[in-house]
Amino acid sequence: MMNKTASIISIFSMLFIQSVFASSSAIPLADIEVSQDQQSIKRGVLVYHNTCRLCHSMKYIKYQHLEQIGFNESEIDKLRGNALKTAAMTRLMSDDASYELYGMVPPDLSIMAKARKHGPQYIYTLMTSYKEKDGVYSNTLFPGIKMPDVFDGSTYTDSATKVAIEVKVRDVTEFLTWSADPRAAERKNLGKYVIAYLIILSTMFYFVMKRVWRRLDE
Amino acid sequence: MKKVVGWIDQRFPLTAFIKHELTEYPTPRNLSYWWNFGSLAGVVLVIQIISGIFLAMHYKADAALAFDSVEHIMRDVNYGWLIRFMHSTGATAFFAVIFIHMARTLYYGSYRAPREIMWWTGQLLLLLLMATAFMGYLLPWGQMSYWGAQVITSLFGAVPFLGDELVIWLRGDFTVGDATLTRFFALHYLLPFIIVGAVLIHLVALHQVRSSNPSGINLADKDNIPFHPYFTVKDLFGLCVFLTVYSYFVFYNPNLFIEADNYIPANPMQTPVHIVPEWYFLPFYAILRAVPDLLGGVVAMGISVMIFAAMPFLDRSKIPGGARYRPFYRVMFYLFLLDVLVLGYVGANPPEGYLVPLGQVATFFYFGAFVLLPFGSKMEEKWLRERGLPPEIVALMEGEEAQKQDRRKKKERRKGGVVSDDE
Repeated sequence: MMNKTASIISIFSMLFIQSVFASSSAIPLADIEVSQDQQSIKRGVLVYHNTCRLCHSMKYIKYQHLEQIGFNESEIDKLRGNALKTAAMTRLMSDDASYELYGMVPPDLSIMAKARKHGPQYIYTLMTSYKEKDGVYSNTLFPGIKMPDVFDGSTYTDSATKVAIEVKVRDVTEFLTWSADPRAAERKNLGKYVIAYLIILSTMFYFVMKRVWRRLDE
Repeated sequence: MKKVVGWIDQRFPLTAFIKHELTEYPTPRNLSYWWNFGSLAGVVLVIQIISGIFLAMHYKADAALAFDSVEHIMRDVNYGWLIRFMHSTGATAFFAVIFIHMARTLYYGSYRAPREIMWWTGQLLLLLLMATAFMGYLLPWGQMSYWGAQVITSLFGAVPFLGDELVIWLRGDFTVGDATLTRFFALHYLLPFIIVGAVLIHLVALHQVRSSNPSGINLADKDNIPFHPYFTVKDLFGLCVFLTVYSYFVFYNPNLFIEADNYIPANPMQTPVHIVPEWYFLPFYAILRAVPDLLGGVVAMGISVMIFAAMPFLDRSKIPGGARYRPFYRVMFYLFLLDVLVLGYVGANPPEGYLVPLGQVATFFYFGAFVLLPFGSKMEEKWLRERGLPPEIVALMEGEEAQKQDRRKKKERRKGGVVSDDE
C-alpha cells in the first residue's frame, strides 16, 4: 500500500517538476535567494524611484501601499511629489517619447517578478548581464534588449563599484518581488496556522477513526 | 426535536432517507484509502463553486478589465488572494483527485457490471470538468489564457465543411476576443451546476449498485458495514489529509500551477514562445500533436478522452478484482500509466527532436492498450484458468455466481412464475 501511494505521489510530482523546469534560458540564471528583508525592499523602492521610474510604471502599486513595507507618511510624501497618495506609481516619460526612443512602451514592472519563470532570479540576472564592447551594449540573457545598461555594470571594473551595483540590483529585485505579490508574507503567515490546525485535526480524526473501527472487532 | 422530525417525516421521508443512504447504507468493509477520492472530488467541487462565486463578485468579464480585476482581487479585496489561489489550486486538485479516482476504477475493474452507468456518468463528468476548466482558464486574460483558447477553439476548424463557421460561432468573433471572454464566463458559471446535477445522477447510480471493493465482487451481507459512522469518519480523515496537502500549495506554492506567461496581459499581436496547456491536458495535447494531420489529431484527441467509456466492453475477463488477480492486466495498467506520463512530458515541451517520434510511439501505445485489451483479457482468463486459479478467487467467483443465481430466482419469484418447494 505504501509503495503504491508513494508511486502515485512521485508520478504527480514528476509532472509538476518538469513543468517548472520546462523552459531554459540562453544563460543560467543567477542563483540568488529572495530574502524579502524590509530594509532591502525599501532601498529597492528608492532605486526604482531614481532610476527605473523614468521609463517603467508600477501600475498596481499605489504610493499608500508603501506603508506596508515600512515607509512613513513623510517619506511617502517626499516620493509622491504632487501625485495623490492613492495614485498608482506612474512613469515619467510620455508614451510618445518612449515610442520615439525605443519604438515601444517599456513594460510595467509591478508583476514582472511573476511574469517570468524564476522571476527574481531572472530580473537579477538580466540587470547584471550587460556587456560592453567598443561602445556597443549587449545583454547575454536578453539579446536585442532595448533597455540601456542603467546601472553601468558593464563599464566599471573595480570590485567596489561592482559590489555596489550588485547591491542596488539586489534591492530593486527585492522590491519587484514584493510588488508582484504584496500579500506573500500575510499568506505564508496565515498558512502556518491553517496547516498546523489541519495536521492536528487529521491526527484527531485518525484516532477517532481507529476507535470507531475497533467496534467491528468486538 | 422528536416532534419536529415526526412532523417532517409525515410529509417528507427524512428519517427513512438518512437511514437508507447513511446510517444503514451498506458499504464494503474492505475499502482501501483509494476509495476516498470520490468524496474528495465532491468536496473539491464545493470548494470550487463557493470560491468561484466569491471571485465572480469582484471579477470583470471584459477584455479591457479582466486582467486588472484579477490583480485587484489578489491585492485589494479582503482575502481575495486566498479565494483566488484556492480556486486556481482547486482546479489542479480537482483533476488530481479525479485522475486518481479514475485510476482506482481502472485498477480494480470497478467499471465492470453492474457499474457501467456509474462509469459512463463519470466519463460525462470528466468531459464537463474539462470544458469548465478550459473556459475558466481564459478568464484571467493572460497570454497563456488567450493563446490556449485561440489554439483549442481553432481545432474545431478541422471539422469538414462547417469548420470555419463553427470556430467563429464558438468565439463569437473572428479571433478570441471580448465576445469569447463574456460567453466563456457565462458558461464557466453555468457548467458547475450542471456538474452538480451529473454528480447526483452518479450518486443515485452508486446507491443502486453500491460501492465496488478491492475483491471485485459484491460481498455477502456480513462483509458490509453501515456507511455511518465507519466511512463518514474515514472520509473526514482523508479529507483533512487532503486539505493539508492542498493548503500547502495554496499558501506556500500557489504559482506553481500558474504559467509565468499568464501574468502577462493577453496580447493578440504577440504569440508566446511555447503555448502549453495546463498540466491536466498535456497527455491529450501530446496525442493531438502526434498525428500529422490536424483533423486526424483532433479525432485522436477526442477518442483518447472518450475511449474510457468503452472499458466495460473491452475488458472481457470474468476474473474479479481487476488488476489484483490479473498479472497481465496489472502490467498493462502500470505501462499505461507510464505511457500517460510520457505523453504528458511530450505535451509540455515543444515538438522538437526525439520528442516527435516519442510522442507518436506513446500515442500508439495509448490506443494499443485499448485495442489489445479485448483479446488480452480473454487470453489472460484462459491462461489463468488453465494454470489453476487460487482458491480464494474461485471462492469469490462462485460467490458471485451464487448471488447472480439468487437474484435471478428472486426475479422469477416476483414474476410469479416458479415457486420453489420450500415455500
